[in-house]
Amino acid sequence: MGRKTLSLLLAGVFLGASTLASEVVLKKPPESLDNYYPPKSKKWEFLSKMHAMSTYFYGINLNINNEDWKNALRWAKELKKEYVATSKMVPEWKEYFKPKLADELVKAVESKNVDNVLKAAQALGKTCAECHAEYQLSVKLAYHFPSFESIKLEDPIEFMEMDTGKYMEKMTNSLKALKIYLMQGDKDNAAQAGEEFVERVRALKGMCSKCHTSKLSVEAIMGKEYMSNLDKLGEVLSSGSGDKGKVFGLLQKATSACMKCHNVHLVPAVVQEKFEK
Amino acid sequence: MRAFLIPVLFSLTLLGCGPFEEVFVEKDLLERPQAKRCSDCHADIYKEWKESRHALAWKSESYRRESENYTKTKCLACHAPHQVDPEKKPKLRAEFKDDGVACVACHFKEETGAMHGPLKVWSPPHPSKQDLSYTKSSFCAGCHRETYKEWKLAKSSKSCQDCHMKSLGKKDLIQKFPFYLFHRAKPRHSHRFTSLIASEEDIKVWFEGGRLYLENVGVPHNLPTADQGDPRLYLIARIAYKDGKVRTLRRMFSPQAENALAPGRPVGITITNAEGVSSIKIKLLRKLSWKKEKELILSREIHGEGLPGQVRRGNPEGGEGVGKDSEG
Repeated sequence: MGRKTLSLLLAGVFLGASTLASEVVLKKPPESLDNYYPPKSKKWEFLSKMHAMSTYFYGINLNINNEDWKNALRWAKELKKEYVATSKMVPEWKEYFKPKLADELVKAVESKNVDNVLKAAQALGKTCAECHAEYQLSVKLAYHFPSFESIKLEDPIEFMEMDTGKYMEKMTNSLKALKIYLMQGDKDNAAQAGEEFVERVRALKGMCSKCHTSKLSVEAIMGKEYMSNLDKLGEVLSSGSGDKGKVFGLLQKATSACMKCHNVHLVPAVVQEKFEK
Repeated sequence: MRAFLIPVLFSLTLLGCGPFEEVFVEKDLLERPQAKRCSDCHADIYKEWKESRHALAWKSESYRRESENYTKTKCLACHAPHQVDPEKKPKLRAEFKDDGVACVACHFKEETGAMHGPLKVWSPPHPSKQDLSYTKSSFCAGCHRETYKEWKLAKSSKSCQDCHMKSLGKKDLIQKFPFYLFHRAKPRHSHRFTSLIASEEDIKVWFEGGRLYLENVGVPHNLPTADQGDPRLYLIARIAYKDGKVRTLRRMFSPQAENALAPGRPVGITITNAEGVSSIKIKLLRKLSWKKEKELILSREIHGEGLPGQVRRGNPEGGEGVGKDSEG
């Protein structure tokens, strides 16, 4: 068997099952996994184990292709050690792990027979892939994005503190009210609703800084250009002209930030809420 | 009494105990002791510092919560700095973090192995070095970066220390016997690092061309100001119309929303149906980052344009106000 073929086959061992699946599954991760991810632990222990095993798997591949069986065996043994240790971390996932297969991989490498190695690696990799197919995405969404649950926002119009969901509702309701009043030709109420919308968007910027301590990441979405557009919108609304064309034009730019943040944060936030994370 | 005691003690020490400096050197003072150790001599300064926000910089519950239990690494260094230098972001201190922004963090310099300060002093227990950077705003800039930028734009003649480390007149720097006998009283500045509250004169409020204006005319940095903190300013305007209708307008200003009141830059809020306004009652309040309660800055009433008795209040002459001590 040529080196290229072995590389390709071993590379597919890990990814196989999850990439071939035709549907996406989001199963709630088990409770004990909480111990290895923020906020409970900032060390990301479980993810580190995954990276370590993936690296050691590749160490076997790399060294066999270099015909360095001694080092291939070293990484096979390391892989077995990590696999066994990982199998004890999350009791609810015990059934996914087959330590015997890790031992067989070590023996296959010891035999210096490429076909045996490939067979043992595929069998072991399948155990990983089965768990990944069921949990990889949900773990990513549940643990890799900080929760919005603890973030409270003070409404700049009512001076009341509320969670992000309630704040978003208030902000979008003032946006909807602005549109409705404008279309009804009620200039005064449109101006008031519009000003409230502008103030709520402005105050929303404060929420980003709770996590994004580097101002650059906030500026990328709500930078000078964005804020100056928001100021213009405020001015047009306050003038009481009721100029629908101008207001809708400026609103289009003002609401562009919604999509940018939602693309990153909304899906994980919804999944976390469902998982009660 | 002092005039008599100083030469007597000085002579006794020289005759009986060898070189004077070596007799009184306390080596642990140069090994970054806890703030409490400094209070052995500088009891009054320690007492002031102990009541300051600097002393609570690490222990404050609001900071612990906002830093997500000390895991937001960007925040940590300024809350327990190793060494504070002008315009330089400090490094996180390894020891005694609970002391927050403490004595040695600001006064001890690795480069000289001496305690630095604005005064020329003779201090046998530790080497001391006069350093005039302590009188300048740039000294605070390593941590209070945003406020420093705002202050520079304001082109104020007052430094951070002028307002937040008020002069206490001439006082003893130390209280321990017999050392206090060797020193004359020196100009002292408070180490309470007082948070001030703007006074009515610091904010100009007026109604013109259908807009209600607010202008920070007295405080030489934004109102409110912070780097990562989240203090707020609240405006509540109760607008009374000639037809008897009343509308309440509320606005919030904060550094994080980037709408804090910058010095000399009026902020206008359009009042709908302005021609019908008869009067506006205004309240301006502030809330510090670590406090829950709001504090009143000003409360006044202004009248609509064209009406008899229209006034334009505030401080039309401008100039810098001094604010009020918000503590005590």
